[in-house]
Amino acid sequence: MTYVSSTGAPAPSRDLDVSVIVPVGRRHAADITALHAEYRDGLRKLGLTYEFIIVLDGANPQVAADLQRLLQKGEQLIVIGLTRRFGEATALMAGFQRASGRIIVTLPAYHQIQGEEVAKLVTAIGPTADLAIGRRWPRAGGRFEIARRNAFHRLIASVTGQRFNDLGCGARAMKRRVLEEIQLYGDQHRFLPVLANRQGFRVVEVDVRQSPQDRYDGGYPPKEYAHRVLDIFTVFFLVRFTKKPLRFFGMLGASTFVIGAVLVTWLAIDRLVFQHPLADRPALLLSSLLVVLGMQLFALGLLGELIIFTHARDIKDYQIDEVIRYPDKLPAALPQGGDLTYAGVRRPQNESSPAALDP
Amino acid sequence: MTPPDLSIVVPLFNEEESVRPLHAAITSAVEPLGISFEIVFVDDGSKDSTVALVDEIARHDPRVCLVKFRRNYGQTPAMAAGIAQASGEVIVTMDGDLQNDPKDIGELLRKIDEGHDIVVGWRHERQDKLVSRKIPSRIANRLIAKVTGVPIKDNGCSLKAYRAGLIKKIPLYSEMHRFIPAMASIAGPRIAEIKVRHHARQFGQSKYGLSRIYKVLLDMMVIKTVASFTARPMLWFGLLSVPMLLASALAFGWSVVNFITTDRLSLPIAGSGVIFLSSAIVLMASGAVGELVYRTGDVREQEFSGLTERIASVVSHHPVSFNS
Repeated sequence: MTYVSSTGAPAPSRDLDVSVIVPVGRRHAADITALHAEYRDGLRKLGLTYEFIIVLDGANPQVAADLQRLLQKGEQLIVIGLTRRFGEATALMAGFQRASGRIIVTLPAYHQIQGEEVAKLVTAIGPTADLAIGRRWPRAGGRFEIARRNAFHRLIASVTGQRFNDLGCGARAMKRRVLEEIQLYGDQHRFLPVLANRQGFRVVEVDVRQSPQDRYDGGYPPKEYAHRVLDIFTVFFLVRFTKKPLRFFGMLGASTFVIGAVLVTWLAIDRLVFQHPLADRPALLLSSLLVVLGMQLFALGLLGELIIFTHARDIKDYQIDEVIRYPDKLPAALPQGGDLTYAGVRRPQNESSPAALDP
Repeated sequence: MTPPDLSIVVPLFNEEESVRPLHAAITSAVEPLGISFEIVFVDDGSKDSTVALVDEIARHDPRVCLVKFRRNYGQTPAMAAGIAQASGEVIVTMDGDLQNDPKDIGELLRKIDEGHDIVVGWRHERQDKLVSRKIPSRIANRLIAKVTGVPIKDNGCSLKAYRAGLIKKIPLYSEMHRFIPAMASIAGPRIAEIKVRHHARQFGQSKYGLSRIYKVLLDMMVIKTVASFTARPMLWFGLLSVPMLLASALAFGWSVVNFITTDRLSLPIAGSGVIFLSSAIVLMASGAVGELVYRTGDVREQEFSGLTERIASVVSHHPVSFNS
């Protein structure tokens, strides 16, 4: 097992239908062979060619031994071992580097959905859906748990304007392009649907049956809640203000500054006109703090704008679906038909150089 | 394929009625000029049959190219994508709603030939509603001219011509298409403004309203700071910290005087002095971070300084004029 770096991976041949990526992190099924068999049987029903890529996110001798046994039995597996625990998003991207399928399926390393439901996700991908995300339904869970989930998704919806019902479900199927265009890092794998939707991909939710072993076992540590709240902030910034930092910081900063300035002015008038002593008033401290804070926030916004401006060529804020250009001479026979068959040069824009697009 | 002399970039958003007449108008206006050209339509995620219509046109006219977005991103990304795709030496941008008249393209090109880098259209007889469009626009333009120092009477007019070498280097993002000339002022271009025709809207709905004013104001501030201070963040944040330093000096001075005369130290005043001083320090530190950002970014001032050099030596006898 080797660590596959993002640049060192061999260029995959694109002849498979489905690549399944399973990142194995801290939480994983006790018996990974059973899980693999379940997923594999679910996929086989489709009659498509597929590959399994299992990414070990950090050293895990027990799982590694299990996988070794699977490999010895002749199972077709690609196992990638990361040198340390990088997190799920990084593990997914590392697996994606090696994936050669047209459709990428990500599956959790523990029993979250029933194995045969994988097929449902894959078949959901089509002309009207670029990304199919699983929604465990019907779903077990106590009343408090359901309320907590609802609150989380409603918050996400109010921030992004997109209502999803189960962002915690790791079972997703997507076209290759989705992961080619969206670079996941940190904790963003959870928000892949939000980011994909923002890039103009069509996202559908597919009801999948929950695995009986995926049960909620009473309470998460407080750290988990703090993480979720921070996640919401992250998404908020990613979705709303990545391109316009000053719109956000400027608003916040300017209003704080104005409040502080008004307070200072009032204190000054009070002192100079009404002769009230200034020296013993903590309000002076408060108002100067507000002025300073407003200035600081505004400066942060400007710094953000500077970052955007100097890096604008790297962070494109649009994605081209395709460039349509017909060559000078049309081919003799024009295939007629649906809106997806065109005679001319019609290729997705993956190349960035305009010259490369000329027929 | 040899690159054409001229690329015409037209963003389209739900313009199914306009596309055909627009294509006809452009070809009939540009063909007599005797130059090779291409038309780059950018579909900004239209929901109607715009894409099918343009595809049909492209089938019969190899000079037409369509860049298709997967969803609606807005006019600036559409312009940016079209400009990136365009291969002509001169790039003309215009609206897709037939309010600009392609007959003016010849005049724009003549100005470019005279040695200007950017030629902007001025809709001097604007065919729009007075209260909701014309008056706010006039105020905004005055303000933009004042703040950015680029005296253009009509920033909102999409009909503009650029040298490709210049416009392709200018970072375009957010909602900056209105400010391309101001943004381009980093490169010190020769800008000319000519009067162009403007027609009343024939089809569809106007896509803008009063709500954009607040955004325009903030964007303007960004451009002003970014265009003039990008290469000098330290100076820029240093300027911000000057009032803070003054305030802290005032507070400290007062405290000291107070202490000497009355032998009492007022905590709130001395405290606010400390606050202002620390703020000044943090702002300076932000400036240092800004320097770091600039160094790691890929926008370089000397890159811009080279953009208009060559032309300057050729046509240096042409005075810079903003009115024609």
